Amino acid sequence: MMIPFLAVVKKELASVIRDRTIVISILIQLFFASFSSALLLGMLSLYDSDTIMQFGGPGIRVGMVSAAANPLEAYLSERGLEVIVFETVLDAENAFYQGGVHAYIAVPQNASDTAEIKLYLPDSDAVSSLIRMVIQEPLKRYENYLRAQNDIEVRYADLKGKPTTSYEFIYSVLLPMLMFFPAFVAGSMSIDSLTEELENNTLQTLLSTPLTVNGMVAAKIFSAVILSITQCAAWLILLQRNGIDLQNTAWILLLALIVSGITSTSGTLAAVLLKDRERSQFIYSLMLLAAAAISTLLNVSPITTLSRLAIGDYYTNGWHVMVFGAFLAGLYLLLLKFSRRLIV
Amino acid sequence: MNQILVIALREVTRLRKRFGGGASPITVVLLLAVVGFSAFSLRDTISLGSGLYRVGVSGDVPTIQDSRFSIVAVDLDKGYALLEQRAIDVFIDGPRVFYREDDKSQYAVRALKQYMEIQELARIGSSFPEESAFPLKVEIYYLGAGQAAGETAAGETQPATQPEEVIIPSLTPPPAPFTQVIVALLYILPITFISIFFTSSFMDEKINRRLVILLSAPVTPFQIILGKMLPYAIFSFVCTALIAVLTKANVLLALAIFGPTTLFIFAIYLMVPMFYRTFKDTTFIAMLVTTLTTSYLVIPAMFTNVHDLAYISPLTLAVKMYRGETFGWREYLFPSLPMAAIFGFAMFAGTRMLNEEFLMGYKPITRKIADAIYLMMARSKPYLAVPLWSLMVIPGVYMTQVVLLAFATNLPFGMILGVMLIVSALVEELVKSVGIVVLVERGKVTSTRDILGLAFLSGLGFLIGEKLLLLLSINIVSQASVSIAIFGAGLYPLIPLFAHFLFTAIVTLLRTKLRLPYTLALGAGTLVHFIYNWYLLRAIL
Repeated sequence: MMIPFLAVVKKELASVIRDRTIVISILIQLFFASFSSALLLGMLSLYDSDTIMQFGGPGIRVGMVSAAANPLEAYLSERGLEVIVFETVLDAENAFYQGGVHAYIAVPQNASDTAEIKLYLPDSDAVSSLIRMVIQEPLKRYENYLRAQNDIEVRYADLKGKPTTSYEFIYSVLLPMLMFFPAFVAGSMSIDSLTEELENNTLQTLLSTPLTVNGMVAAKIFSAVILSITQCAAWLILLQRNGIDLQNTAWILLLALIVSGITSTSGTLAAVLLKDRERSQFIYSLMLLAAAAISTLLNVSPITTLSRLAIGDYYTNGWHVMVFGAFLAGLYLLLLKFSRRLIV
Repeated sequence: MNQILVIALREVTRLRKRFGGGASPITVVLLLAVVGFSAFSLRDTISLGSGLYRVGVSGDVPTIQDSRFSIVAVDLDKGYALLEQRAIDVFIDGPRVFYREDDKSQYAVRALKQYMEIQELARIGSSFPEESAFPLKVEIYYLGAGQAAGETAAGETQPATQPEEVIIPSLTPPPAPFTQVIVALLYILPITFISIFFTSSFMDEKINRRLVILLSAPVTPFQIILGKMLPYAIFSFVCTALIAVLTKANVLLALAIFGPTTLFIFAIYLMVPMFYRTFKDTTFIAMLVTTLTTSYLVIPAMFTNVHDLAYISPLTLAVKMYRGETFGWREYLFPSLPMAAIFGFAMFAGTRMLNEEFLMGYKPITRKIADAIYLMMARSKPYLAVPLWSLMVIPGVYMTQVVLLAFATNLPFGMILGVMLIVSALVEELVKSVGIVVLVERGKVTSTRDILGLAFLSGLGFLIGEKLLLLLSINIVSQASVSIAIFGAGLYPLIPLFAHFLFTAIVTLLRTKLRLPYTLALGAGTLVHFIYNWYLLRAIL
C-alpha cells in the first residue's frame, strides 16, 4: 500500500522539479520579500517622518520669522531640524533664494488665540512634501500648545514609543505572506495535478494500478504539502538569519503545514466536484477569500494566529494551531466522502 | 470584421455554458454575495499589524476599536502584574499610560499614540467650537526658484499673493498618494481578473482541440485572437468606466489612462496559453505575470510627486487625475506608448504562433521560446527581420530594466550601479543576439559575413529604438542618472552603434562558429558590454 503511494508522490515532485515551475513560485516570493523589505518599506518610511529625520533630518534648515519668542521654534529644534531665526520676512526670503534655508515660517505679530502662520516652501514637489512631512509633528505640538491656551486638554498627547511601520509590516504582512503563499500555491497545484489527469483521461489508467482513489488523492495532497512546507522552512531560516526575531518557530511551521493541508484539500475537493480546471481554480480562489473573511469574523484568523505566535504573544499557544488541525481533519473526511465521484 | 464578431459571439456563448451550466442564477447571486461579504469583512480588519498589540484598560478610557489592539479590562493591580509578566504590552489607567522599555511595548505605545490622537481630535472637534478646537491655520506658499532675490531686495515687499492652500495641521495629513494609489489599483484588479478568464478560454480550446479546428476554417489567426479577446476587452472597458463613474472621475480620461494598460495586460495574458505545456505551468506563469504587472504598475505610482520616474506607470496619471492635477501629452505618452507597443508586438507574435505544431508541441520552455522567435522572423528576409526585431523588443527591454532597477534598489548602495549595468547589458545582448542565433540554428543564415551584417543591423535597430525612447523620456526623467548609462544618452550615435555591433557580433559568432553554449557566449558579450558601460560612466560622472 505504501509503495504506490510513494510512487505517486515521487512522480508529482519530479514533474514539478522537471518543469521548473516551482522556480517561478519561489521567484514570486523572493520578489515580494525583497521588494517589501527594502522598497515597500522604504516607501512607507518615506511617509514616516521619524525615518526621514533619521537619514536626512539634520540637513534640513528651516527659517523662522517671529517677533516674539514662540514655542514653535523649540518644537522644531526638538524635532531635530536646524532652525535659523530671521528679523524680517525679507531676510528669510533672501536666505531662501541663496540656499541658506530650505523653507521658512512666518508668524504674524498679533498672535491671538487662533494663529495664522505662513509657511513658504520650495516649488519642487519632492522637497516640499518632505518638509511638510517632517514639520507636521512640531506643528501639531504647537497646535496643542494653542489649545492649552484655550483650556482644551488633549489626552495621551505626550506618548512616544518607537516607529511601528517595519514591526507591523514584518509580523503582520511579510511573515504571513511568506508562510501562506506557498500554501495558496499548493492548493492551485493540487487542482492542476488532478484536473490534468481528468482532462487527459489518464486517471483511469492510474487507478488500474494497485492504488485506491483515496491513496492517489492523498499522495497528491501530500506532495503539494511537502513542497510548500519546504519553502516555509527555508523562509523561516532565512528570516532568522537576517536577524528577525521569531518565537515559537515549531508551532509556526506546524501552522503553515496545516494551512497548506487545508488549501490543498479544499483545492482537491473543488477539482473532485467540478472536474475541470477553469471552474475549479475559480471556485477555489473564491473559497479561500470567503474562508479568510469568515475566519477573521470568527476571530480565529490564521494570519493573526501566525503573527501572534511569531511575536511571542502571551495568550497564544499550540492550542490555537490545533483548531486549524481539527478543521483540516474535518475537511479531509469530507474529501474522502466525495472522492468516489472521481471513478464514475 | 464580421468574422471577428462571430468568434466573439461564440466566445460569450462558451463562457455562459461553462459557468451557467446546470447552475442557476442562485449560484451567481451566491458568488456575488461571497465576494461582497468578504470585501466587507476584510475592509477594516485586514490592516497593517492586525492583532499585534494587547492592551490592558482600567478606569475611564476611550473605547479602542482597532484591529491592531486586543483589549482586556482589568483592575489596577492585575494590570501592573500583567504588564510585568509581558502578557500585555501597554496598560492604560484613565489618562495615565504605563509601558515597559522593551521594543514590543514601545511599538504598542506608538501605535496607541497614533490611534488616540485621532480619537482625541474627534472628541475635541465635537465638544468645542471650531476656532478653539483647531486654533492653528497654516497658509502654504510655494516659491519658484526662477524668482530672483534681487527683485524683492529692491525695496518691493513680497507681493501679497493668495496662499496655495490653507491647512489645519491636525486635520490635514501631509500629501501622500497612498489612498489614490489604492483607488487606482481598483481599476487594475477587474482587468487582471477578466484577463485570467481570457487565458482560461484559450487553454480550454487548446486542450479540446477546438482551436485547431478553428484554424482550419477560413479565418486568419489575427481574427481569432481579436474575436476571442473582444468580449473580455469590452467587459474590461465597461468595468473601467463603471469604476470611474462610481469614484466620480472623468470617464473619458479614465478610459484614456487605462486603455493602454488594459491592452498591455491582455497582451501578457495572451502569451500565457501560447507557452504553457501543463496546467501547473499556467498557474505558475499566470501568478508570476500578475505579480510582475501589478508591481510594475503600482510601485512607481507610489512615488507620484516624489520622483519623476513615477511616470513609468499609468497609475501615476490616475493618481494625478484624482488629485485634480493636470498632466501633458508627454506625461501621458511616456507610460502609455510602451504598453501599446507591447500589445502590438504580442498581437503580432500571437498570430505567428497560432498554429497547431507550435501549440501542441511539448518541449523545454527555452526551445519553445526559440521556436516562437523563429516563427516571428521566418516570413520575411533576415535582413529585414533582424533589425525590426531589435526595434520592436525595445519596449519590453525597457520595462524589464525598470523592474530590475526596482529590484536593484534593494542592494547595498555601492552595488546598485554595478549590478544594474551587468543585468541591463545581459538583457540587451540577449535580445539583440537571440534572433540571429535562432536563424543560424535553423540554417537560414550560414556565412560569417551574413552573421556580421545581421549583427550590425540588429545593433542599428536597437539603437534607433533606444534613441526614440530617449526622445520620449527626456524632460520627464531628468534625475535618473542610471538610465542615462543604460540608454547611453549624450554620446555621438556612431560610437554606440559600433559598440552594439561589436557585442552582438561577439555573442553570435561565439555561439554559431565556435559552438559555445549560448549562455557562455552571452556571458562573454555581456562582460564586454559591461566594461564598455562602466568605462563610459566613469567618463560622464
